[in-house]
Amino acid sequence: MKSSTGFEQINRFEDELDKCTKCGFCMSYCPVYQEERVESSVARGKIMLIRALLAGELTATDEMRKQLNKCTLCMTCAQNCPAATQVPSVITAARADGVRQKGLSFPNNIIFRWLLPRRRLFGYVVRIASWFQGIFMPKTKGSTRHLSFFLSALGRGRHIPQIAPKFLRQSVPEINQTPQGVETKYTVGYFTGCMTDFVFPELGMKIISFLTRNGVEVIVPRGQGCCGAPVFLGAGDFDTGRRMADSNVRAFKDLDYIITDCATCASAMKDYAKFLADTSERKRDYADFAAKVKDITEFLVDIVQLPASAYRVAAEYKGKSVTWHEPCHLGRYLGVKDQPRKILKSLADINFIEMPDADRCCGMAGTFSIYFYDLSQKIADRKIADIKSTGADIVVTDCPGCQIQLIDSITRHGLPQQALHIMELLE
Amino acid sequence: MIESKHIDRLRQIAGKENILTSKEELVAYSYDATNLWSHTPDVVVLPADTEQISEILKLANDNQIPVTPRGSGTNVSGGSIPIKGGIVLCTTRMTRILEINKTNLNATVEPGVILQDFNNALAKEGLFFPPDPQSSAGCTMGGVVAENSGGPSCLKYGVTKQYVLGLEVVLADGKIMKIGGLTPKNRTGYELIMLFTGSEGTLGIISKITLRLLPAPKANKTIVAVFGDVAIAGETVSEIIDSGVLPSKIEFVDNWTFEKFQGLLPPEILANAQAILLIEADGLPEIVETEARQIVDICKRSSTLEVRVPQDGEEAQKYWQARTAHFSDISSAAYTIVNEDVCVPRDRIAEFIRISREQARQNDVPLSIAGHAGDGNFHPVVLTDSRDREHFQRALKCVDEIIETALSLGGVLSGEHGIGLEKQRFLKKAMDPVAIDTMKKIKDVLDPNHILNPGKIWEEAPDEE
Repeated sequence: MKSSTGFEQINRFEDELDKCTKCGFCMSYCPVYQEERVESSVARGKIMLIRALLAGELTATDEMRKQLNKCTLCMTCAQNCPAATQVPSVITAARADGVRQKGLSFPNNIIFRWLLPRRRLFGYVVRIASWFQGIFMPKTKGSTRHLSFFLSALGRGRHIPQIAPKFLRQSVPEINQTPQGVETKYTVGYFTGCMTDFVFPELGMKIISFLTRNGVEVIVPRGQGCCGAPVFLGAGDFDTGRRMADSNVRAFKDLDYIITDCATCASAMKDYAKFLADTSERKRDYADFAAKVKDITEFLVDIVQLPASAYRVAAEYKGKSVTWHEPCHLGRYLGVKDQPRKILKSLADINFIEMPDADRCCGMAGTFSIYFYDLSQKIADRKIADIKSTGADIVVTDCPGCQIQLIDSITRHGLPQQALHIMELLE
Repeated sequence: MIESKHIDRLRQIAGKENILTSKEELVAYSYDATNLWSHTPDVVVLPADTEQISEILKLANDNQIPVTPRGSGTNVSGGSIPIKGGIVLCTTRMTRILEINKTNLNATVEPGVILQDFNNALAKEGLFFPPDPQSSAGCTMGGVVAENSGGPSCLKYGVTKQYVLGLEVVLADGKIMKIGGLTPKNRTGYELIMLFTGSEGTLGIISKITLRLLPAPKANKTIVAVFGDVAIAGETVSEIIDSGVLPSKIEFVDNWTFEKFQGLLPPEILANAQAILLIEADGLPEIVETEARQIVDICKRSSTLEVRVPQDGEEAQKYWQARTAHFSDISSAAYTIVNEDVCVPRDRIAEFIRISREQARQNDVPLSIAGHAGDGNFHPVVLTDSRDREHFQRALKCVDEIIETALSLGGVLSGEHGIGLEKQRFLKKAMDPVAIDTMKKIKDVLDPNHILNPGKIWEEAPDEE
């Protein structure tokens, strides 16, 4: 395919774009297509739209933007594609070129360009949002869309947990040493991610406590910010994404490992080099940074190699049956599949049940679920059916984004299950 | 262009969210899995049920609007491309499996069910629908019937037409017709089911399908045989069938697409190999054992470089995946591919392969041959570049010659892909003119206004609309 001007990012993934042979195998794998059953939803359709865009047969209209946004980037198509076409990369690149051509629309321009890169300010806004949360949550339907990122999700009736009264960074010191009598074997940086910082700080505290008790000193660098996933992957704003990547790279410069409790953050950070490296220095820095990023379960099982006996269930979850939802970013992006299952199987006091299609996308996908909340719910409904089929008391996962989706869907269906992060199960 | 009042009427019939009119959405219905043709429709309609299909056809027939039926658009003949514009009637929202009956060994489905989803549902009941086109992950049941699909398993089990028991079809004027039934035997009147099976959407829209099923085979075993000579591979196929075993599949790939076999077979063997046969025996475990042994013996007696039997299903699956990847591998090997679908009698396989390769050499174009060797159905693929006029012309000439060869050996133009747009120019050579004329007369009776999938199967005379 000929390179075309105005499509710098897509052109970088030209080989991927050319790989698709239009065989249509993606039809039975794409979670969006399975709900909508229209060609523009499926990977092949999006590839063809992007080809038409490059050929000048179509232009970057709002409709085109909508179609390109309508993808959870779950990677299932790419995993099952006989030609191994990396469709999510092409779509991300196309979103980026769209932003370069037309800019971000309100309110995303405010949120992504201005708010997310400023961690403390973002914290204040989230705090204000939390005051509104109590007022708006019971009755709002669409009326709060322009208030903020969180409220716009809330505004459509989504059940999300309360914003924490005290954020994680306000609750823990920057350096968390191992307790007396426990030898320090590793020092890691903890990338907390927005969700754990603002919504699930007790998860962060539990992780820090678990790690330090097991000989891992935990640094929570104050200079860290948002991973940038909603900005450069979701909205295609590569310029802002680069600023965020740079500040995260700086914040964790001197550490050997960067652990996360969020598969999305981890894989977004590993993708800095692929999408955001515009100079050879950045390419090197981002690659070095990526090599240090480890998901928490991957770090515990592969690096620290904790014995099974190190994992004990917190008293409140003893005797419960537990099933596991595998986040797309964990399994397909990071290739972390066995590690969380190994931890779950180590836990003597729970009954672990594997759910059918555990690796099926839950439909959250960050900004996707805000643009297409109804669609996101339909995708989640299939996950709910799978959870129900196990009869488990608890569903655990390893991504606070998925967790919020699971909480929302379980509440919507009036089910008794709890949705937790896998680390919350531990003592 | 379709008039806006007709689009309004379509909105009334199917609901406004099921009518697609944006430029972007229309481009997404302008192609299928072929790469030489495309045309955007004026509108895409996604009906929910038979009644809506009927109303849509009444509107189209009264106003002479072309209607191109489509499922997932995974076909490889150009058949679902709306070459005359008008309406694309897409059945992908009709996804219900209405019944699976273990005692009657049949199932009734809507046309938009994806074959793989159907197979998954059958597997839970221990049942089996044998036709297995390589597009099973995407193709819909309506397409499977309308294209009379085949696939590897058809060697032992036959093609789709051997499994269709009943159909509900919406005719061009909107009348709903039920034909066939639920029973495997049915001698009531003409075999109208056969008329619509393989009709490529030119005679009516299939809105419900009842299929005959089989109990799933209890066991299977894969045999991999590697050959240093393509013709010997072809002869071996004949020997296997002559020996009285009927494997469920005998698949052939040539050395154009060995990449996916790297890591499965030793590099020194692959380096000297010209062709691989993948053979599967299925049935009761003890029979499978005996047949597999017999096949292995035959392969060993031929001059094979290697014969192996994968340890278990998981290992065998890897070889079959390498086979499935053939189409995408070969597609990515060239800017344009011309993929044919000829069949030759089994005792002419070796001859066919030899002559085709010679024809490719004479025309100086790369040729890859893969296919369902067991039933003589081959997919010769000429690799070319449609932007390079001279090369492309040579490629088309080579394709013409290969098709002539297949026909002269007593074969047919298309084994399983159908004629659509791609093979129209060969139809006159491949079919008795009286038969072509009869098809046209049938078309005139069932679709006098020629609204259904116009421009397909036969070339239109210059004065024809």
